[in-house]
Amino acid sequence: MQKRIVLDLDLCCGCRSCEAACRSAFKGEARIRHGDITGVAYLPLACKHCKQPLCLASCPVEAITQDESTGLVVRSANICIGCKSCAYACPFGVIDAPLVRHISQKCSLCADRKEGPRCVAACSSGALQWLSDDEIKRHEIGMRMVSQDLFIRRKA
Amino acid sequence: MKNIDPKAVVVKRALCPFCSFGCEFGVIFNDFGVAGVEYIKDGSSGGRLCPRGSAAAMYLDHPRRLSTPMKNSKAIEWSRMAKELRKVIGNPKNVAVTFDRNVTLEEYASIIGFCKKNGIDDISSTYFEPEAYLKPFLDKPFATKELDKAQLVLILGDPFNHAPMSSQSIIDWKLSNKKNNLLVIDSINTHTAGFADTFLRVAVGTEPLLLFGLAQEKIDGVDIAKATGIDAEVIADVSKAIKAAEGGLIFACLSFGHTYDARLLVEGLMRLRKFSGMRVVPFVEFTGYGGSRNFATILEKVKKKKIKNLINFGELFPFYYPQLNAELKGSNIYATSTFKYTGDIVLPVPFNLEKKGTVITTFGKKELNAGIEPPSGAKSISEILNMLDEGPGKGEVMIPPEGKMNITESARKLVQMSLPKKKGYRLIGEKIAYSFLGFFESEALKVNPRDAAELGLKENDLASVTSKHGSVDFPVRLTTDVDKGIVAVSAETPDVKGLFEYEINTDSNIVNFIPTEVKICRKE
Repeated sequence: MQKRIVLDLDLCCGCRSCEAACRSAFKGEARIRHGDITGVAYLPLACKHCKQPLCLASCPVEAITQDESTGLVVRSANICIGCKSCAYACPFGVIDAPLVRHISQKCSLCADRKEGPRCVAACSSGALQWLSDDEIKRHEIGMRMVSQDLFIRRKA
Repeated sequence: MKNIDPKAVVVKRALCPFCSFGCEFGVIFNDFGVAGVEYIKDGSSGGRLCPRGSAAAMYLDHPRRLSTPMKNSKAIEWSRMAKELRKVIGNPKNVAVTFDRNVTLEEYASIIGFCKKNGIDDISSTYFEPEAYLKPFLDKPFATKELDKAQLVLILGDPFNHAPMSSQSIIDWKLSNKKNNLLVIDSINTHTAGFADTFLRVAVGTEPLLLFGLAQEKIDGVDIAKATGIDAEVIADVSKAIKAAEGGLIFACLSFGHTYDARLLVEGLMRLRKFSGMRVVPFVEFTGYGGSRNFATILEKVKKKKIKNLINFGELFPFYYPQLNAELKGSNIYATSTFKYTGDIVLPVPFNLEKKGTVITTFGKKELNAGIEPPSGAKSISEILNMLDEGPGKGEVMIPPEGKMNITESARKLVQMSLPKKKGYRLIGEKIAYSFLGFFESEALKVNPRDAAELGLKENDLASVTSKHGSVDFPVRLTTDVDKGIVAVSAETPDVKGLFEYEINTDSNIVNFIPTEVKICRKE
């Protein structure tokens, strides 16, 4: 992968700008999801574009393919039959099972936009970043804690 | 014949109209119309946009966008509309002119000038959103660099949902120095509260009392610690910290139906500002303007049949406050709007993105000039006024009468109202950035798991919430973010706002939407 989406959870303010940007661009499809750790934090869930993608392996019609040069895992809207196999296969739960337009909602890292994914561009607090492997090494992702409670951001 | 090239796009730079941050973004147009928003890196927010900003383009060509005048849900021509309005204005003592949101400073001046020229004396704001009360603190534009000098920041409410673009500067400030102290006051647990060093979770609607307590002010006959649920020792400690901190800031943002007395809350903020020397910065979506009267005075005249016609410029009133309909019965309402609503007469106007003009924000005056064309049938407020008159005349700023305020009485009343009730639940409003007008997700009802167990509700069940003004069904979200006996919902749409109770302050004639007693039952 040339660049990837990196999350600094300490900065996430839970506004879901990332999902809104995605839905606005893709006709209501939320290709990025969020996990809600109730009372603790929101966790934006973007596709990892795995080296050995289970969504690709599970697709019965080969609608999901992987670009050999970039590693990007993409879904063809014309081939997808909306069987949800990919949604159930994904170990990270980033593909939403309730379908919009009867096809699976698969992140393409906004391949149509040369500046990178819209979710990263929109992120209001700077929690989502679009970084290369070298840039990732220079960052101390996950090392800071914003609140004084070490493990629980949102006190119930 | 024109060749259509779907890849040919035009990007028009625009200023987001949905909160005080006024972020810049691009609206993408192709041959088929609006294609979306673009995140402009060299814009004022570095391309970042909250959910409302991302939805801005969807708003422009929404299926419910109004593009022709409607009378009793039927299309009517502008010429017939103008004739009818001219007849109405011919008897100015029988007319009230009001205004809410989506009005520029220039349009406001035109409205006031028009009223003066035509002898219309009853002029009022119908912007009932609580942020309108925070206007006294907008005297000086705010710059985020003011955070650099602050050692302590006190936040009232949930700015990370009200104005998500505030999150980065506040979090950066918090991370920049371990000694930086973030205090948050709210009655429900929020994302903003999650970042706090000290979260003062008050009893619902009692924020004004805590502000008096932090300013070390006593209110005769009111036990602030007992009423707010915050220990007296904690109040004293926090008060000391506030007094000792240098260059501190108080950020304030209020949700609809979240507190009982917005005017008392403003008074509390004033006292705390005087006590601490901290600057109060309100994060407001729109500031609202003044008229010659407060709205309750106009309501009274409508009830006595002294006013028969109301002309509202803006986009909220009367659609977003259906609970006022009973009091407005018998009057004709001519209201401008950008969306299709059922009403007597609805007139299409441009959305802020399609306007030229000036708006006031937390950061000072901002110019709207995106050069985006409104729907062909829409007319700007100035065009409507010109259609009715040769020229609207010169306008001026109006300041409505304030009325006396008895703080002790108001505080005692607040205590009585906020006492937990034996039966039923209290519904409070909150702001969720992602629930913006239902564009991305419908509103969910936050319910405490203990209440849910009593009601037989599970996550995602449908619950029917009934107040004396109506009933709305919501999917349930179980969370301890709300206390037992309290339910919270994002109050953005007319249906949801319509559930809330309102109260008219008899001293000031201000209309206050307050936490509301509701019944909840599981919908099969």
